[in-house]
Amino acid sequence: MRRGMDVGLGLLTGGCLLACLTIAGGLIWAIVSRGWGALSLSFFTEQIALVGAAGGILWNLVGTTILLVTAFLVCAPLAVALTLLERVWLKQKRVRHWLRIGLYTANGLPSIVFGLFGFLVFVQWCGWGKSWLAGGLVLAMSMLPTVTLVLIERMAAIPERYIIAATGLGLNEEQLVWAVLLRQSWGGLISGCLLGLARAAGETAPIMFTATIFAGATLPKAVVESPVLTLPYHIFILAQDSFAPGIGTKIWGAALVLLGLVFSMSLAALPSRLRLHEESHV
Amino acid sequence: MSDNTAQTNAVLEALQLDVRARGKGILQNVSMRVAAGQIFGIIGPSGAGKSTLLRCFNRLSELTSGIKVRGDVRLKGRSVYSAGTDVNALRARVGMLFQEPVVFPTDIRSNVLFGARRLRKLSKTDEADLAETSLRDVALWEEVRDRLAQPAGNLSLGQQQRLCLARTLAVQPEVLLMDEPTSSLDPRSTGAIEELMLQLKSRHSIVLVTHNLAQARRVSCVVACVSVRNGVGQIVEQGTSGALFGSPQSPELREYLKWDSQA
Repeated sequence: MRRGMDVGLGLLTGGCLLACLTIAGGLIWAIVSRGWGALSLSFFTEQIALVGAAGGILWNLVGTTILLVTAFLVCAPLAVALTLLERVWLKQKRVRHWLRIGLYTANGLPSIVFGLFGFLVFVQWCGWGKSWLAGGLVLAMSMLPTVTLVLIERMAAIPERYIIAATGLGLNEEQLVWAVLLRQSWGGLISGCLLGLARAAGETAPIMFTATIFAGATLPKAVVESPVLTLPYHIFILAQDSFAPGIGTKIWGAALVLLGLVFSMSLAALPSRLRLHEESHV
Repeated sequence: MSDNTAQTNAVLEALQLDVRARGKGILQNVSMRVAAGQIFGIIGPSGAGKSTLLRCFNRLSELTSGIKVRGDVRLKGRSVYSAGTDVNALRARVGMLFQEPVVFPTDIRSNVLFGARRLRKLSKTDEADLAETSLRDVALWEEVRDRLAQPAGNLSLGQQQRLCLARTLAVQPEVLLMDEPTSSLDPRSTGAIEELMLQLKSRHSIVLVTHNLAQARRVSCVVACVSVRNGVGQIVEQGTSGALFGSPQSPELREYLKWDSQA
């Protein structure tokens, strides 16, 4: 009976795994097979031309990078501060519990909500118009819960014996934070940021109101009214508005580049995630 | 060392110490004196509160939530539980070696200097000198001098424990608390640590918690037996090593020694 249940459960989980792999594999195959033809040196080095039917994605890549770097620079210190608040400074369990619930809830918020918030606050209230900084800030907000939760998880996995040994040497709380907590969770910050950036890189909703336009932007030279081109918005507009036969390969090419970007960031976070998994089981 | 000398030179004292955890008594009415240059052994069955007692001396017990301490601990005559005590400075003065070696995931040199370089300003030369002195103190220098930049985790358990002792010594404590420091070590490493204790006692008072009665007999000047009486840990007997092991008085100690001799 028990053996039968084990086999049944094995078959069920195997089937689920196969279904997931088939869907993911099919998706990747569809993008790679359709987009591969568009990839060339000029695709990466030329700017958009003929409403996307010609040229490349140079400024879209640059704009996406600008938004991601801004988001990273804003998000990383905030995530560290929130994590230390949860792990070290908040002494009351209940408050820490509510902070975690808040982070999990924020992690599940639809990205369009962040976009609307950014539109109201940065674009309208601050008067920045569409700006790379508004987009970077909105992306930072959208990835902050993910990064913070990964970092909290990483810090919670630091073996207690390190903290006791360091405290036993006479280190104060600040020294403990720098010497043990931050040092040991550095990988968590990097992996959390990479996972957050991987998610943010593909977001269209938060930046379409706040930071990006389809064409006509290069390097931003100011904050106010300084939009950028981005890959997700490029794909979104081409897929929605263009019926030109030559444009299909360009859309899939851009999607393939975006997929590569996201995939490489997730892959870069993998060693740190695996180490976390190993250490939490010591 | 006579009891009189111990009283006049008391470095560390516990005075009617009561420890409770979430309302439950762990230790009751514990009084003991550790003299300068003395190794004070604490023996007793598991769960009697020996490690808790040790952690009360440098207030490391406060890391465990729900622990309440009454009574007093005095370091060189000054209460460590009085208001205004700098707990971190206390922990630097009363160093601790744990049951299992805790090396940080970094190189050997950084491990030795882990506490010292954060607690006081050290130049590069000072750091190099301190690392060498501390490693020499624990007889590890010759074994690791060529691989100071290598991960400390690559050392054997015995070497790791000596490294932890070097790290504690680098902070220049006055008292060393050792919580079963050889329980995870082989006989050779155990011998090395015991030898170190005997060398170090001229500079540091040592409180040693051990289950190894032969070890307590070998290295301790004074020994206390902590055992559970009426449901709570107490010092049921203490005295010089010879007297305590030679003619045990309390039924708990006699019982404990009997089990050990049978084992």
